[in-house]
Amino acid sequence: MIESFREAFGRALVELGREEGRLVVLDADVKDSTKTVYFARAYPERFFQVGISEQDMVSMAAGFAIAGKIPVASAFAAFLMRAWEQIRNTVARDNLNVKLVSTHSGFSDHMDGSSHQCLEDVAITRVLPNMTVVVPADAPSVYPLLKQVVELEGPVYMRLGRDYAPRVYEKPELELGKASVLREGDDILLIANGVMVSVALDVAKTLEEKEISAGVVDLHTVKPLDEETLLKLGSRVETIVTLEEHSVYGGLGGAVAELFSEKMPKRVIRIGTTEFGRSSRDYVSLLDRYGLTAEKVSRRLEGVLA
Amino acid sequence: MSEVVSPQVKLRAMLGGVGNFHLDSSETCLEILAAVLERKGEKDVVILSKGHSAPAFYVMLHEMGLLTEDELYSFANIDGLPSHVLRGLPFIEVSSGSLGQGISVANGIALAKRGDGKEGNVYVVLGDGELDEGQVWEAAMTSAHYNLDNVVAIIDRNYFQLTGKTEEILRKEPIDEKWRAFGWAVIEVPNEKEAIQAALDYADKIKGKPKAIIVRWERD
Repeated sequence: MIESFREAFGRALVELGREEGRLVVLDADVKDSTKTVYFARAYPERFFQVGISEQDMVSMAAGFAIAGKIPVASAFAAFLMRAWEQIRNTVARDNLNVKLVSTHSGFSDHMDGSSHQCLEDVAITRVLPNMTVVVPADAPSVYPLLKQVVELEGPVYMRLGRDYAPRVYEKPELELGKASVLREGDDILLIANGVMVSVALDVAKTLEEKEISAGVVDLHTVKPLDEETLLKLGSRVETIVTLEEHSVYGGLGGAVAELFSEKMPKRVIRIGTTEFGRSSRDYVSLLDRYGLTAEKVSRRLEGVLA
Repeated sequence: MSEVVSPQVKLRAMLGGVGNFHLDSSETCLEILAAVLERKGEKDVVILSKGHSAPAFYVMLHEMGLLTEDELYSFANIDGLPSHVLRGLPFIEVSSGSLGQGISVANGIALAKRGDGKEGNVYVVLGDGELDEGQVWEAAMTSAHYNLDNVVAIIDRNYFQLTGKTEEILRKEPIDEKWRAFGWAVIEVPNEKEAIQAALDYADKIKGKPKAIIVRWERD
């Protein structure tokens, strides 16, 4: 079942707006695309439009947080990162209660091409002190994780795709900061987040047919890293594979490789991107081009593990 | 009898040991900060957007008895006063050092105040060189769009920025017309405490739009 990340986000915000009166939402003229328009309609007095100016939006969110509100500033991932310096110097350095939520991350804005496809955001937010980084796997994960993000005191970056979210969970019971174990395995461990969690589950099934037992973990919280769960599961296998719709440098793959190289040296194969994207009429063919479909990943792993 | 030391002398003494760290930026800010901090009420917020004037701010805190002499002269020591202001210091709600963000932060605070029906102004002290930052103008549009008459920007027009004269580095004039065109009320005063205080009083009477006070340095 394919659902939409941004629809889930838009609806979750309305729900959370009802529960939390301090919640305010800021938009840089993409409300129809990010679906914060639902919040704007439900609570117009708590919705603030700043026009096409992401830097102004992020610093303004800092102001709302200083005044005791819980601001959610939302935009396309690629353009929210335009405000990285504001995120670093004001939001993260002052440890302010600002929630930055991107949509259209990874290749999900397939039509708009490389300028809009953001494959570096997890890396550049993860390096910031105080910052929590969250990448939900599917639409049902969005509300429970966003609720915990809003309840958490401190800055958070949540990364969402656009409209392609294969369902992973029926009733997700997710805890922020805690890796979600979807499948146990003794030969390899697949660690994924975002849309790549569903890919990892498909890969595990394919490998099972070849008598390779693969564990699957949804690492929805990249920072802080759930080292305990990862090391426990990692100790059972020879090889670890990370899967992300993001550069292999500095994101989930980077975080996992750092952990195992330091605490439990073993092979970590990072699957992700090393290039910019390109425009495509279809999202899945873009994933395929960059080797991120279950078929391509399985073939690659069979080669590596043979 | 203890000797009365002027803020200017304190500032020079403080920065003499650290290569006159951004001394000019602080010197022209002394009277501005004196006026703004004297005026600041319980419900007001002051944002030092030109973080490079932190030394002037510390001199004022010392004048107000909020910093000891030892603390003042601990400037930029590893455990002493930070070279640019950090959140948590007296009056400092947001850290600075990175130029151009103060009005945006002020707008967030001002809109939150409005939403909660709270009173009080948000005063933002900016440099003239800082006006090069595009975000200043993004934020200026936002303040005007929301008719934030509780936002008051005070611009330290000292005609110098880091590597030269402002008009040679990047032309700023006509500054007043720029702010007016962006929807702000503009007040221009010389860099003297009493004049700045009068401008702050006058700004309070202007309703329905944000206000920019351009404080011109007319000395050498």
